[in-house]
Amino acid sequence: MVSVKRALEIDGISKRYGDVVALDGMSLEVPAGEVFGFVGRNGSGKTTTMRIVLGVLAADEGEVSFDETPLTAEARRQIGYMPEERGLYPKMRLAEQLAYLGELHGMGPAPARAAARTWLERFGLVDRAQDDVQSLSMGNQQRVQLAAALVFDPIMLVLDEPFSSLDPVAVDVMSAVLRERADAGLPVIFSSHELELVERICDRVAIVNRGKVVAHGSVAELRTGAAQRRLVDVPNAAARWGEGIPGTTLVSRNGSGLLFEIAPGADDQALLQAALATGPVREFHRVEPSLGDIFRTVLQEDAS
Amino acid sequence: MSDNAGSRPVIFLVARREILIRLRSRVFRLGTVAMVALIVVGIGAATLLLGKTTPVRVGFESATQTLEQAFRASATASGAEVTVSDVTDDTSGRAQVTAGTLDVLVTGSPTDPGVVVKTTVPALVATALNGAVVDARLIAAGLQPAAVATAIGGAHFQVEALQPANPQRTPQAISALVVGIALYVALGLYGTFVAQGVVEEKATRIIEILLATVPPSRLLAGKIIGIGLVGLLQLSIIAAVALVLVSVTNVVSIPTFTFISILGYLMWFTLGFLLYATAYAAVASTVSRSEEVQGATAPIQVFLIVGYVAVYVSIGNLSGPLATVLSLLPPFAPTLMSVRMAGSDVPAWQVGLAVGLILVSIGGLIRLAGRIYSNSVLRLGAPVRLRDALSGK
Repeated sequence: MVSVKRALEIDGISKRYGDVVALDGMSLEVPAGEVFGFVGRNGSGKTTTMRIVLGVLAADEGEVSFDETPLTAEARRQIGYMPEERGLYPKMRLAEQLAYLGELHGMGPAPARAAARTWLERFGLVDRAQDDVQSLSMGNQQRVQLAAALVFDPIMLVLDEPFSSLDPVAVDVMSAVLRERADAGLPVIFSSHELELVERICDRVAIVNRGKVVAHGSVAELRTGAAQRRLVDVPNAAARWGEGIPGTTLVSRNGSGLLFEIAPGADDQALLQAALATGPVREFHRVEPSLGDIFRTVLQEDAS
Repeated sequence: MSDNAGSRPVIFLVARREILIRLRSRVFRLGTVAMVALIVVGIGAATLLLGKTTPVRVGFESATQTLEQAFRASATASGAEVTVSDVTDDTSGRAQVTAGTLDVLVTGSPTDPGVVVKTTVPALVATALNGAVVDARLIAAGLQPAAVATAIGGAHFQVEALQPANPQRTPQAISALVVGIALYVALGLYGTFVAQGVVEEKATRIIEILLATVPPSRLLAGKIIGIGLVGLLQLSIIAAVALVLVSVTNVVSIPTFTFISILGYLMWFTLGFLLYATAYAAVASTVSRSEEVQGATAPIQVFLIVGYVAVYVSIGNLSGPLATVLSLLPPFAPTLMSVRMAGSDVPAWQVGLAVGLILVSIGGLIRLAGRIYSNSVLRLGAPVRLRDALSGK
């Protein structure tokens, strides 16, 4: 495998459909060897971005480059792609179908057949090699779909919602494959609505909204920019205690446990003292915001 | 990448997949078997009906036996196959006719005989018998039949038929019609296969994976070439079976089914297929579900049907203005020109012009269809309007 750092760079791409702005100067960089998560609401431009990377769609403006050169049709043929709308020929045999896709991506006939077999073995489907795709269970069809993106030994992986409707075992297989490919030196970019999963397996994340990136970085980096939170457990506090404490906002209340957001620059010791004033304090600790929390905060900020 | 060694052109790969998948399909195998069976049965039936050459058995009773020699000569001259036998008396002759061992019994006097048959007298036998009786009467009147024949021979007259017999009945016209029907069915069938193939890739969503690596124009070209070759193969199998059977049974000895003329029909299938398949593919790419194919392709079907109807209308006059004009126009040329070539003599310049026109149309249509296809094939959901597909909105 090539060990040179070859990054995918998306530089200011825009796309309009009539009056609808799908992408508005989308820019991001996915270094080789990283698993990159792409999160955003439906219609925020994730799929359009991926389609433009693949050349399935043309951008109105901007450029996509790989290894510091603009992507050519020949380079695009080497990208492993899994579209959001899954698709295989239902009435074609597994081994034939994978070998066919391998050849379409530029492999010779014999290497394509060998690669098809390798991936079928990897996914435990070698016994079904001569069966039609439509005879497989949903879970196995998804494995074949992933194999279709990997069979030609791609230079990069672009996967649109690869985890949607996967069973838990398939989720593990998918996560392991993404990590393995990144470790092999590929840039791996995928979109997902499952933020816990993204948080767990991604090196870096981009949050997109209305056609552009509104926040990006590692989850740790995103956290430092996010508001600080404290959980306070005060069993003897009055029913309405917690509202209106200076420098804090009450986020939620669960029995005697209260979650506060500390305003930027404010001191959490004032909150602790207010809590001690109610009686015993059983808990007082930092709560790391989840990617979901960060995501919601970022979108709120972007809206205002 | 190192795996690129020996990689093949995309159009070849796409076409090869279409061919493999279709040759393996039940539709192709059963369809071919069914059509070959139909041809075997059809030609077999035609052999039985047209080729019945059992001689007519004619028996002459006592006095009429003097007619035998003249009858035999007359029958041979008119091409009727007969066997002649002597019958001892009227009663035994009638018994033989009833039993089916004799077809015709001639009885009574040679100059005024009676004829006994089960149902009807074969026309050629009646003519031959008539000639023999006339000879007998001439001899009875003291005249030499040969001299009389010389006297009345040479009285030529010109025939002007105001209502000629229906040429639709001639075997050549019937074979021309068969050619027309075969082309109409094949173009419609294989055109529909292309339309279904295009929609299948949209409906199963594999299109996006394909387009990420294959340019739309090559995907379309590979599909059309692959399906067209399968069609050509199927028609060639059927034509070869027909050719062999016809030459073995010798049932139709007309120039409609020679090797060269069959090559001509296959050429017209190829041209017609390229034209129609391209159009079918373009409109099919605007819809997303296989149920919508029928509706979307209906306007194209209309052209095919008009050409088919025109074959029936003009079969009686294949050199007339209607057939001539329509056979030059690209949408109708594949069926009508083939039928004209099968059923009449077509001037070479007309064939050349028709081929030229259809080639130009195919070229233009491919460009148009490529645009419609590229702009529509990724749009799922509601059918794409043709105007939007053309402008790429």
